[in-house]
Amino acid sequence: MSDPFVLFWMLLAAASILWYAFLVFYVGIKAGKEILIMRKTLTKEKITE
Amino acid sequence: MTLTLIDWLIVGIYLVGCMTVGLMMRRYVKGVEDFAVAGREMDVNLGIASLAATELGLVTIMYTAQLGFENGLAGATVGVLMCLAMWIVGKTGFVIEPLRDAGVMTIPELFEKRFSVRVRWLAGLFVVLGGLLNMGVFLNLGGKFLVWSTGMPPEWLKWVMTALLGLVLLYTALGGMLSVLVTDYLQFLVMGVGLVITTVLVLHANGNGFGLVADLKAAWTGKAGMKMTSDPFNPFLSDKMGWGYVLWMFVFQMAVVTTWQTTISRVLSARDSATAKSMYQRTAFYFVGRFLLPVLWGAAAFVYFSKNGGLPEGIDSQTAMPRYLSTILPAGIIGIVIAAMLAAEMSTDSGYLLTWATVIYNDIISPCLKKPLSKAGRLLLTRSIVIGIGIFLLFYGLWYQLPGNAWDYMAVTGSIYLSSVFTLLVAGLYWPRANEVGAISALILGAIGPITFLIVEQIWTAHPEIFQSRGLANVIPVILKPAVAGFSSFGLAALGMLIGSLSKSNNTNPI
Repeated sequence: MSDPFVLFWMLLAAASILWYAFLVFYVGIKAGKEILIMRKTLTKEKITE
Repeated sequence: MTLTLIDWLIVGIYLVGCMTVGLMMRRYVKGVEDFAVAGREMDVNLGIASLAATELGLVTIMYTAQLGFENGLAGATVGVLMCLAMWIVGKTGFVIEPLRDAGVMTIPELFEKRFSVRVRWLAGLFVVLGGLLNMGVFLNLGGKFLVWSTGMPPEWLKWVMTALLGLVLLYTALGGMLSVLVTDYLQFLVMGVGLVITTVLVLHANGNGFGLVADLKAAWTGKAGMKMTSDPFNPFLSDKMGWGYVLWMFVFQMAVVTTWQTTISRVLSARDSATAKSMYQRTAFYFVGRFLLPVLWGAAAFVYFSKNGGLPEGIDSQTAMPRYLSTILPAGIIGIVIAAMLAAEMSTDSGYLLTWATVIYNDIISPCLKKPLSKAGRLLLTRSIVIGIGIFLLFYGLWYQLPGNAWDYMAVTGSIYLSSVFTLLVAGLYWPRANEVGAISALILGAIGPITFLIVEQIWTAHPEIFQSRGLANVIPVILKPAVAGFSSFGLAALGMLIGSLSKSNNTNPI
């Protein structure tokens, strides 16, 4: 593991796995709320028309 | 078949849920702006989810795993370069800020404002040509994954492709970008879970990653069953990569993140340019994993087959990964992974179908119409184009045989338009002297390199004697290096823009 490239890829792999796991929850919750807001806006626009 | 009842149930529940949600959004589509850019109601996090889902397709997983199989972990270098490029563009607003502020629906529409309607039309044509050729192998690669990972008979490939296409066409043609955004969100969640679980299981099967490193080193030094032909960790020492390739890939990724229509459509759908920049910066690191996680699977597949008597008959560097996953993933988990891969395929197909249909309608057909169509007519036409593209994909995917690796094919077909459109965009936004003559020259010259590459490659594969008899046997392999075709297309496009613009002074229309 003394090869810097090996260390680079292993650290990046670990960070990617953690980042993906985090994103699924964080972006998942926030984007879900944004979809609800988007639907409300689109429904209002539809009624206005 | 390797799937159990529980796996099929998981897949079924996902498909039904996705289709239901996708079709529900149809009622909000009032016109082409809702259909193409979701009425510009997309906010940051939904943009991140949608961008991440669209740009991580099953085709991505297949070609990145192939890169991992052939190059070890060094195959993920492209992902690191893409992350760097996207972050730089998001931080500086290079191209994307003025592009969003211009308020257009597509890049060729910007070219009409800046240059002329002729440039818009020609750019639209090259964008569609490159885009459709690029997308032409999506269904085929996606179908191969599903067939080889589930143990379906290979003869079922065309039916699997047809079924996939049918599902995607249904909600994309009816609900447009609104359906695509909401289904992308679901697909983002399912894909994220599937990717993480699969990677953890693959690493666990390989000594938590340490075993994989040791086995790749052994393969590189010739101490394993199969020999890896390039350094599995250092891309600069690799015969297949090297400094020239890395440099080209960086330039290529700068062009991708600023001009690739599917990525840019999220910029154009954003509330404003600040939202677009934020979305880019916050999505950038995602692209490391987009390459690295499937590369890990491909490298693990190499090690697995190396230890188990080599590749079985009928399996190649492209289909090794799905076959490997079918052997190591337990029941239930494989169902989640298949659902995740279906999610990846569907989100990409729907995003790309919509993107190219929008460009065909907006930039090729609309400028030729003497009288604008009615609202209903425009919507019907765009939907018909989506279906037409789908049919093309099915037949092209069944007919075209990839001579090399899938990533090189994707990079070269993408370059048909990336090099010239990138040149036009940068010059159009930042060089007041750029004019119509320069733009047309850049478009034509930029496309020559990649198109020549594709034609020569097919002839070389089928009839090498044509070149050998003319003493070109040593020259052709050099010309066919993807970096050579790539750099030449960017160079020719830039040259065309420079010389063409300087050769004639036209009235220019700064944005």
